[in-house]
Amino acid sequence: MFDRGTSDDASTHLSVLARAEPGRIKAMAEQVLPALGAVEVLISRTGLVMLPLRDTVKGVDFFLGEVLVAEAHIRAGGAEGYGMVTGRDLEQAMAMAVLDAARSLRLPGVPEFVRQEAAAQAASDDARLRRIEATRVEMETF
Amino acid sequence: MAYVATRGGERAIEQAERLYREQLGTIDAARVQGLRDALPWLIDRVMGEASLYDADLAALALAQAGGDLYEAVLLLRAWRTTQPRIAIAAPVLQEDLFTHRRISAAFKDIPGGQILGPTLDYAHRLLATDVLGGADFVPVPVTPAPQAAPAQQPSLAAWQKAMGLVADPPRAEVATDDIPDVTREPLLFPAARAHSLQSLARADTGGVLALGYAAMRGYGNAHPTVNELRLAEAEVMVRHPSGVSFSAGRVKVSQAEVTSKGKSGQLELGFCATFGWNEVKVIAGATLDLNAGGAEKGSAVEEEFVLYHTEPVESSGFCIHFKLPHYVTFQSALDAMRGAAVADPAKEEVPA
Repeated sequence: MFDRGTSDDASTHLSVLARAEPGRIKAMAEQVLPALGAVEVLISRTGLVMLPLRDTVKGVDFFLGEVLVAEAHIRAGGAEGYGMVTGRDLEQAMAMAVLDAARSLRLPGVPEFVRQEAAAQAASDDARLRRIEATRVEMETF
Repeated sequence: MAYVATRGGERAIEQAERLYREQLGTIDAARVQGLRDALPWLIDRVMGEASLYDADLAALALAQAGGDLYEAVLLLRAWRTTQPRIAIAAPVLQEDLFTHRRISAAFKDIPGGQILGPTLDYAHRLLATDVLGGADFVPVPVTPAPQAAPAQQPSLAAWQKAMGLVADPPRAEVATDDIPDVTREPLLFPAARAHSLQSLARADTGGVLALGYAAMRGYGNAHPTVNELRLAEAEVMVRHPSGVSFSAGRVKVSQAEVTSKGKSGQLELGFCATFGWNEVKVIAGATLDLNAGGAEKGSAVEEEFVLYHTEPVESSGFCIHFKLPHYVTFQSALDAMRGAAVADPAKEEVPA
């Protein structure tokens, strides 16, 4: 994960949740929801995140454009939960927020879910990168 | 320019729109999904020009517009105005990109090596006509390497700067809230570099290619060689309310640097990047960036000329507005011609 100066478990955990397979994270959220009790929804919306990119020639940051995201912010069981995912799936963002709150409340099952999703994501990246590596040019000089 | 209010077109207008939509037929989720899956390079181009990253919406816009790119981009640019701006992500740095393709035409042995990634650069372009006869085209699977490629590749420009081959100007740190934004501020000239690069990122691919190609053929000041071309995915780094930074997901980006020998004895570089994977646009855009310095006013590579004429919604909109009624303007031109004919009867009569 590419985090800037806040490299810790929380950052990795949130990044894994945001990239979790939508069907699985929604199912997991349904599982933990009863343990959270009443849920107050503070935010559930789609919106835009401006994405800057740094020019490699003069080091100038400029906007590449806007990324559509779904965002959810909830309060439950005395904890807050937050989710933001690329795309427009409000349920996916809400599921992330539910699992974020569940993690704050140390509910069982969430760390294991995150470990499994992290492993699936690492395997997916590894498969992709081995295909990419197959296209490396072994330059011969003569 | 003048306009005249007219009546009598309501029914024709309504039926014309119905005729357009009737010919496209029913648009359902399966059609949108099919477009998204089958045409990723087109989806990327539309997302880049719309400056809005969402493949589902881009596919929907293409479905509604029947593949008319300018209509699709207009639909997306209009839709984005309905959405709140929630946050500004952390700037994407080249060395953090999850890199799928990274090549240099200028240097053979670049740090990190040359990785072709997904490309038809060295393929024969043969139309698979058998598909039309019922024989599926089934691609040959990739043979994965035993070891994975590094997800991140080093920056060639950073290496060149360290070697003294390229100037390394001190950079001014700008807070993300203060990054200039052409969607909120007018594009003035000379443009801030952030405005120029943002405009190129949103620019019409065909327009950038036309002007970039003109520069490459000799209507510019510098001939490009691709220093580095990269197709990658960038993490969208946002903040949790607790302050922790995390990735909300990945988006595809392309970036290119082109180079030419500068007058200072060092290499000069031009840069362009965009949403999605669109090599033509970033190579042509970087060529225009390389040529912009010292370009003659009104030339094909001068900044104002380039940026005003490659904005897809403005340029296509201005072009097609000429088909709308201009009866008063045109009548006035005819009146002037008739007046001239009366003043000089030797000239041919202008028909009514």
